[in-house]
Amino acid sequence: MRLMIFSDIHGNLEALENVLRDAAKRNVHRSICLGDLVGYGPYPNECIELIRNVKNCRCLAGNHDVAALWEASPYGMSKAAKEAILWTMDQLSSDNKDYLSSLPDRIDLDEMTFVHANPYNPKGWRYVMDRKYALRSFAATRSRFVFIGHSHRPLVISKKHWLSVSIEPITGDTEYGVNDSRRRIINCGSVGQPRDNDPRACYLIYDTRKQTINFHRVEYDVQKTVEAIQNANLPPVLGRRIVKGT
Amino acid sequence: MKIKHHGKTSPTNLKQRFFLWSSLILISGGLLLSLLSFWNTRRLLMAEAMDKSEVLLQEVEAIRTYVKSELRPKMAELHGKDAFIIEAMSTTYISTTIMDTFSQSMPNYIYRRASYNPLNPKNMADPFEEEMLDWFEEDSSRTFWQGVVKKNGESFFISMVPDYFASPCLRCHGDAKDAPQPLIDRYGKTNGFRFQTGDLAGLNSVAIPVSASIRAAWQGSLVLFLITIPASLLLLWLLNLLFQRLVIERLGVMLSIMQEKKKETDAEQPGDELDALHASLGSLRQFVHSARKGSSLQPNFINGYVTGIPITAGAMSWLYNGYTTKADNREDVAIKIGFDEALQNPLYRACFETELNLFETLSHPCLPKFRERIGDVVILDAVNGEALSSLFEKGPLQEHLTKSIFSQLCDLTAHMHATGVVHHDLRPQILHFDEKENLTLLDMGLASNDQQPDPIAAAGLGPQGDLLYMAPEQIQGKRGDPRSDIYTIGVLLYLANTGKLPFSSKQRSLQNWVQHKAKFVIEKDDQDALTPELIDIILKALSNSPEKRYQWVEDLREDLEKVFS
Repeated sequence: MRLMIFSDIHGNLEALENVLRDAAKRNVHRSICLGDLVGYGPYPNECIELIRNVKNCRCLAGNHDVAALWEASPYGMSKAAKEAILWTMDQLSSDNKDYLSSLPDRIDLDEMTFVHANPYNPKGWRYVMDRKYALRSFAATRSRFVFIGHSHRPLVISKKHWLSVSIEPITGDTEYGVNDSRRRIINCGSVGQPRDNDPRACYLIYDTRKQTINFHRVEYDVQKTVEAIQNANLPPVLGRRIVKGT
Repeated sequence: MKIKHHGKTSPTNLKQRFFLWSSLILISGGLLLSLLSFWNTRRLLMAEAMDKSEVLLQEVEAIRTYVKSELRPKMAELHGKDAFIIEAMSTTYISTTIMDTFSQSMPNYIYRRASYNPLNPKNMADPFEEEMLDWFEEDSSRTFWQGVVKKNGESFFISMVPDYFASPCLRCHGDAKDAPQPLIDRYGKTNGFRFQTGDLAGLNSVAIPVSASIRAAWQGSLVLFLITIPASLLLLWLLNLLFQRLVIERLGVMLSIMQEKKKETDAEQPGDELDALHASLGSLRQFVHSARKGSSLQPNFINGYVTGIPITAGAMSWLYNGYTTKADNREDVAIKIGFDEALQNPLYRACFETELNLFETLSHPCLPKFRERIGDVVILDAVNGEALSSLFEKGPLQEHLTKSIFSQLCDLTAHMHATGVVHHDLRPQILHFDEKENLTLLDMGLASNDQQPDPIAAAGLGPQGDLLYMAPEQIQGKRGDPRSDIYTIGVLLYLANTGKLPFSSKQRSLQNWVQHKAKFVIEKDDQDALTPELIDIILKALSNSPEKRYQWVEDLREDLEKVFS
C-alpha cells in the first residue's frame, strides 16, 4: 500500500494542485493530510474543496484550521498569521466550516499514528524538533511511526534507545529506508509554506511493502500565489516567505 | 424510544452505586473483623481465667478435705477428743490462711470464704455473695458458678462452689455451748453457730481481675479497625480504578449513545447504565424475530414514494424496491427501512444511525447514491442486478466476472478503510451485481467508524453477522480491524473461483468455529480449479492470524490484478 502524507497547505492552491498531480503519477492508494488547510494563503475554500474530492483521503485538523473556526484564539499567533486567519474567517463558506469542524485531531492506523503537531498533546501545537519533545512523543504512543507536520520542515527522528534519538533533517527528493524495527517520528514538511529554505512544496509517500519513505519536492508557480496574496490584501510578508521558503 | 424497565431501578449511576456499596462492605467488613477479633480474644481470656480459678478452687478443696480427713482426726488423737486447736483443725481458718499467704505472692488471685453467719467477721458475705448464697440455696443441685462481676469499677472473673455442713462441722458451728473453748475465746458466741447438718456453710470463691486484659483486647481491636480503614480505602481506590477501566468506560460509551437517543425522543429515564443495557438486550429477541419475518413488514406509502418487494435483508434494516409517486416522471428508487424493534433498541438504533450516516457521507460507485432521509427511512438510488449469492450458486464464475467483481469490491473496501470504516459483514447476499457489471453494496448495518464509538464493541455483544464469512478474530468479538474484511474477501474469492465455501459445515459453538477456521486447507479438488498464484492469494487472505494476512486491501487488489491481467 502506498500512502501519501502531506500537511500545511495553508491556502496555497497552486502548490496543492501540483503536489496532487505529482502524487497521481506515483500510484498512490490513500492519502492523509495532517492539517492546516487554511491560514496564510489566499485560497482557503478552494483548497478545502480540492482535498474533499481527493479519493481515499483523510484529513486532520491543524492549529490554523481550529483558529479559523474560533475554536482557538488567533491572537496568540504572529501578526501576519493572525491577520490571515481573520481574513480566512470571512472567506470560509459555511459548508467548509462544517467540514473543518468535523476533522479529528488524531488518526491511528495499524502501526502508524497521525497528528498535526505532536501525539502527547495534539491541541497543544508544540513543535517536535528536539530530543525532549521527541521522547515525550514516543512515550505518548506505541505506534512504530508517528507522522507529523506543523513545523514545515521535513525531518526524521529515530529512537535509538530509551533516552536517545537521532534527528535527521531531510533535503530535496530523498528515499528513506525503514526496513528495521526502529520507532520513528516523521515530519512530512509543508505543501504551501515550506520553511527549510527550499520553496518547493513537500510531501512524502510511505510504501508499506517496500518499507520506504520517499520525500518529494514539487516545483510550482510561486509567483502566482504571491500575486493572489497581494490581490487578497493579505500581509506581503506571507508572499516573501513562500518565495524564499522560510 | 421507550425503555422497558426490568425490576427496580435506581437514579444513581453505576459508579456511584459501586463506590457506595464497596465502601459500605469494606467498612462493615473492617468493623466486623475488629469485633470478631475482640470476641475471640475475650473468649480466650475467659477460658484461661476459668482454668486458673478452677485449679485454685480444687486446691482449696483439697486443703479442706485434708484438714477434715487427715489433720483434724490426727490432732484429736494426739490431744484428746475435746481438744480444739484452731490453727490445725479449722478447715476455714487453714484454707483462708493458706490462701492469704498465697495471695501475697500472687495478688491477682483472690480467694474468699463467705458466709451469712461466719465465725470470723471478715468472712461475712458482701451483697453479691449474699445473692449467690441465695442462688445456691434455692437449688441444692447447683454446685458451681462462674461469671464476670464488676466490683468497685473493676471486672473480675469469679468461680464459686458451695460448701455444706457435715455432722463433724457442727461441733464448732452447732450449739455455742458445745463449741470448743479456744473457738469461743477467739470469735465469741455471737456468730457462726446454730447450724444443722446439710445447711449451706458458705461459698468458696476465686476471683481473677480481668479489666486490664479486656481493655487490652479492646485496644487491640481498635488498632485493627484503624489499620483496616486506610487499607480498605486503598483497596477501594484500586477497585474503583479497575471498575472504571473495565466497566464504566465501556458502559459510558453505550450510555452516551442512549442519552443521545433519549434527547431525541424524550424517553423515560432508565435506571443506571446496566439497567439501560439490560433493557436494550431485552428487546434483542423481538428484533431477531422481526428480522426473520422482515418481508412481511412492507409499508405502502412513504411521503412521495411507494414501496415494492424487498430486495434483501440487512443487519438492521430491509431494503425495498420502490418508486416515486409522481405520475409524469416516475423514478425507481431503493428504500431502506429499519426494523421497528431495532429502532426501539438503543443499541441497534445506534448501528442503524451509523449505517444511514455512512450512506449519506460515503461516496463511491459501488454504493447506491443517497437521495434523502425521511425520519428513519432512507431513499437511495435504485438497485439493479442480482445478489452475488445467487451468482455463486451457479458454480465458479468466469474469470472476467471475477476480475470485475473483486476489482470493484477491493476498491470499495479500500475506500471504506481509508475513511476509517470497517464493514464487518461483506456477505454475498448484500452485494448485487448487474448486467453492466456494476457491483453495489446494499447494507452497512454492522460497520464501525474509528471516529465514533462502536456500540457493538462497547456492549460486548460478541460476533454479529454470518459466521461463515467472518474472520476468526471477529468471531472472538474483536471489531474495528480492517484485516477482518480482507479475510471475508478471501472467503468470497474462494467461493467465486470454486463455487464452494471454504468452510462448508456449520459449527455448534463459536469456539468450534474458531478451531474449524484455524484448520483451513484448500482441498485437492479445489486446488485443481485454482491457479498457484490464486492459491497463494487465498491462503494469505485466509490466514488465521491477522498479522500473516494482507495488511492492506490495496495489496490484495494489486496481487489480484497481476493474476487477472
